[in-house]
Parts: sequence; structure tokens; C-alpha cells
Amino acid sequence: MSLTADPPVRRPRRGRLARRRRLAGFLLSVPAIVLVAALLWTPIVQAVRYSMTSWNGYSAPVWIGPSAYASAFGDPIVRRVLENNALLLLAVPFAIGIPLIIAALLHEHVRGWRFFRSVYFLPTAISWVVIGMVALQFFADRGILNQLLADVGLGSIHTDFLASEYSALAALAITFIWSMIGTNTIIFLTGMATLDPTLIEAARVDGLSRRQIFYRVELPLLTRFIQFSFVITVISAFSALFSLIFVMTGGGPGLGTTTLEFFVYQAGFAQGQFGTGALYGVILFVIMIIVGIGQLRLIRSEDGEGW
Amino acid sequence: MTAASAPSARSAPSAPGSTPGAPGSPGTPGTHGPAVSRWQSARFRRRVFATVIFAAMVVIAIVMLYPFWYMGDNSFRSQGQFDQQSGHSLAGWTQLFQTLPVVRELASSTIVCAAAIAVILLVATTAGFAFAKLRYRGSGLVFLLIIAAMMVPLQSIIIPEYVNLARFNLMSSYTGAILVYAALGAPFATFLMATYYRGISDELIEAAVMDGLSYERTFLRIALPLSLPAIATVTVLQFIQIWDDLLVGYLFLPTNDRTITVGLAVLSSGRTTGIPPLMAGSLVSAIPAIIVYLIFQRYLIRGLTLGMGK
Repeated sequence: MSLTADPPVRRPRRGRLARRRRLAGFLLSVPAIVLVAALLWTPIVQAVRYSMTSWNGYSAPVWIGPSAYASAFGDPIVRRVLENNALLLLAVPFAIGIPLIIAALLHEHVRGWRFFRSVYFLPTAISWVVIGMVALQFFADRGILNQLLADVGLGSIHTDFLASEYSALAALAITFIWSMIGTNTIIFLTGMATLDPTLIEAARVDGLSRRQIFYRVELPLLTRFIQFSFVITVISAFSALFSLIFVMTGGGPGLGTTTLEFFVYQAGFAQGQFGTGALYGVILFVIMIIVGIGQLRLIRSEDGEGW
Repeated sequence: MTAASAPSARSAPSAPGSTPGAPGSPGTPGTHGPAVSRWQSARFRRRVFATVIFAAMVVIAIVMLYPFWYMGDNSFRSQGQFDQQSGHSLAGWTQLFQTLPVVRELASSTIVCAAAIAVILLVATTAGFAFAKLRYRGSGLVFLLIIAAMMVPLQSIIIPEYVNLARFNLMSSYTGAILVYAALGAPFATFLMATYYRGISDELIEAAVMDGLSYERTFLRIALPLSLPAIATVTVLQFIQIWDDLLVGYLFLPTNDRTITVGLAVLSSGRTTGIPPLMAGSLVSAIPAIIVYLIFQRYLIRGLTLGMGK
């Protein structure tokens, strides 16, 4: 088209058109601002306020103040719940490492790799509720796992993961790792696709073995993607497992699988303690901010345009 | 699946009996005996390597697909057949339809998903365009505040949300849940749309305005049609998110308007329903998500990678 020969259209900063542009921009962004402000930002401010009260949702709230946090952290039950969250972090290296290996396998591009990629990503489309129900059958006393052990002649090892506190948490963590495989594999596969083939070829010419190339050349270049999947994985571990816990264990046995996010639900809706529930929610929010700042930094550095 | 048969660069087509040293071999261009045998062994090693990888991928595929087979297999059993792990019947399915209002709950899921996605698309396309192309004083900060809301976990605001929705009487119908789903999806959708609109040239927009269109009409007539791929990505991501969600639907939807995922979770947590009907229900709830996944897989993957800022 002849248009390409024309000088680029200047975007005026002043004048009637610029004013119209700014006005249109403001008007078009109003619906999003209203929705997010009303249903996300307002409630988080309210949550901070509620967290410093004792309130059952019906009678008038009683103001406690910031000391509510001090007494919460002194509560052995709260500490037990936070311990569960910390233990869940032990699953993160597996939830990242296993997909990294799988992505490396797929990246070899052997016959049918696209099909396998689709298969591995498929569970990502499935609800945690459904995954939890099958996992329940997997770990059950008369479940799939014990059947498998018996089939390979290890019937003497009888597992009952869901019967005691820490093993139930382990069962939850294993299910979580399985569920993260799809997402993290895709992240790493995307990362590997960005690797410069000439660099790999140069390393090969220099006489590095396949393994050396992976550790010395590819892995350092994948750091950004590993960071991203770390953030996604931690966020999921701390705030996406409600359905899984609800279906698999109901938080038990004892407090065995009650993580912070499930504790919010139990305090608020099972026990009707709106103040305490809100407080646990605020603690969770603070943890998420700390984890999420990393992600935001990643997005900003990629953006290039200062906003 | 067509992808399975797609040839790839690494797996060299192995024609049996092909002459050693055929053109196209990347390695040693040897002509003498020893060189040829070295070439052959390299080729052999590569084939063993590919076979080992293929075998590993098959094993992983079995691990990933087993739950689906398990659901299908055990849904066609009665409780007795399940306990014995032998024999099949339609008992699981008939029981499912007796205990769970499947059709009504599927309808609820569809309504809630469609309405929430409509709201998300409305706010995310307009705001995304504004933040990308129609900047105003403070728009950068507002954009940052909106996408920072991605970090707010649902559990952190669930109690105030409940109080607010109750105050405005929004929990007696779909409205409350739809609004909450829309708000939860809006930040990432806005980010995604803004990223997409940034790729459209300023010249195109200004040329349309010079031709006499208002900025609003330019958005509707020019930018919106161009952004259909991004809209598809948002739609697919949100569909799967909302269809699969438990917490919002469980707390904010009236019992008669429960989605299939909520209905299933409540049925399962009662611990009184047998496994076969639960497996049948799991399949029913999973199938729409699987279908959407199989058709729109690449949009889903694009959404994920866009989240990485690629």
C-alpha cells in the first residue's frame, strides 16, 4: 500500500484530539476499575478491618486491635496450620523438577512428542474436585496404590496414607505434584523453544556432552522460566488446593491437612468466626504478596514501557 | 491425533537396508570401512536414545491418563462390582441421575460460565485497549493496581465478599457468584488484552480517527475484530477456571442453582454416596472441560505463555 511511504502519523500530546483520546481512555477503563475496586480491593481493606475484631457475623463486632495478630501467632493451632503450609513447600522442588525432566524429554522431539505434550497437559483442564476424588481412591485403604503394591508382590507393604496426619499431607502433596505437571511442563517447553540452537550447536562442537550442555548451557538460560514456574507453583500450593482438601480429607485427620486457605474457610464458615477467618486470610495475602512481587518484577522487566 | 504421526526433525526416517553413508547424514562423511561402522554405531546410539525417550514418554502418559480410565471403568459398576473389582453394569450411571440433578447443574454451570465470561470480556477488552492505546493521566498506575489484584487470593477476601453479597442480597440468584468470578478473572484478562493491543500500531488507530471515527468506534470497529485470538484465549482460560471452581459456587450459589462441580463435591463430601456414581459424575463434569481443551488447546497454552510475558 502507498500508505507505507507516508510519514508515520504523529500522536499529538495536546489539543482537541489528545483530549478526546484521554477522555475515551478513561471512559473505557471505568468498568474494569469499578469491578476490581468493588469486588477485590474493597474486600481486602474490609478483611484487614475485620481481622482486628471478634465477630460472629450477626452480633456487633468487638474491636480487638492489632493484638489479634499477636495472639493468633501464639496459638498452637495456628502454628500447626502454618507448619502444614511450610511442609507443603517441600513438594515444590518435585513439582518443578519432574516437569523439567519431562520437558527435556519432549524437547528431544522424538516421534509423537506433540501428542504426548497434549496428553500431559490434559489434566490441567480437569477440576481439582475430580482429581481429588480419584486421588482419594488411589490412596484409600483398599485403593489403587495398595492393589498396585500387591500386584508387584509387595503386598506386605500396606499403606494407609489418609489415616494419619503427616501421611495425609504427603498424599495431598503427591496429588498436587501430579496436577502441576501439565502447567510446568508447558512453561519449560516454551522456555526450551526460546533457546538459541546455534548456541547449543557451538557447545556440542566444543565437545560438551548432552548432559553437560543441559546443565551448563540450557539450565542457566531457563532461569527466568524456572522462576516463573516457582511463583505459579507456590501460589497454587497455598491458594488453589481448597477443593482438593475439601474432597480428599476435609482438613483432617486432626489438623493434618488444614492449610491456611482451608483454615480461613473452617474458621469463617464452619465455626462462624468471621474476625478470625479474615485474619487468617490477611496472613495468606501477605505471604502471596511476598511471593508475587517476584512475578510482577518479571512482567515489568519484559514490558519495557514504564508504567 | 494427527500430531502423533507428524514427522519431526530429530527422528530420522529409518529406512531398513538403506545404504550407510547416505546423503543427509550430519556426522562423519567417511568413505572407508572403519568410518562407516562408526557412523553406523552413532546412528544406532541415536535410535536407542530415541526409543528410550519414547518409552519414558509412554510411561508418563499412562500415569497422566490413568485417572480418566479409572473413572470410566468404575463408573460402569455397581457398588458390589466395585468392591469385587469385576463385572460391569449401568448401575453407577443410573444411581448418579437418581442422586444428582445432573441436567440442572450442567445448565447452572453453563449459565454462570457464560455470564461471567461475558462480563470479563466486556471490561477486559475496553480497559485493555484504553491502557494500551488511550493513555491518560494516571492510567499507568490504575493499570498496575488492576493487575496487582491478581495477587489477591480468593480466600483472603472471601469473608468480606460474603458479607457484602449478603448485604446487597446477591446470593439468592446467580448474580453474586457471576460478579465474583468476573472480578477474579478480570485482572489477568485485562493484562492479556492490553499486551495484545500494544501490538497494534498507533498509526492504524490514528488513521481511523483521522477518517472521522471516534476513539470508541475505532475500538469497536478496528481493534476489537483484530483481537479475536486474544479474546479466544481469555474465554478458554476463564471457562476452565470457572467450570472447575468449587469455593465461589459452593458459598455464593443457592442450593438449587449449584454448578456440577459444586454438586459433585458436596455429594462426595457426604461420604454416603457410592464410588461408581461419583466416578460417573466426575466424568460428566470433566467432559465439557476436556472437549474445550481438545479444541482450543493452543489458546490455553498461549494464555499461559502470555502470562510469562512472552
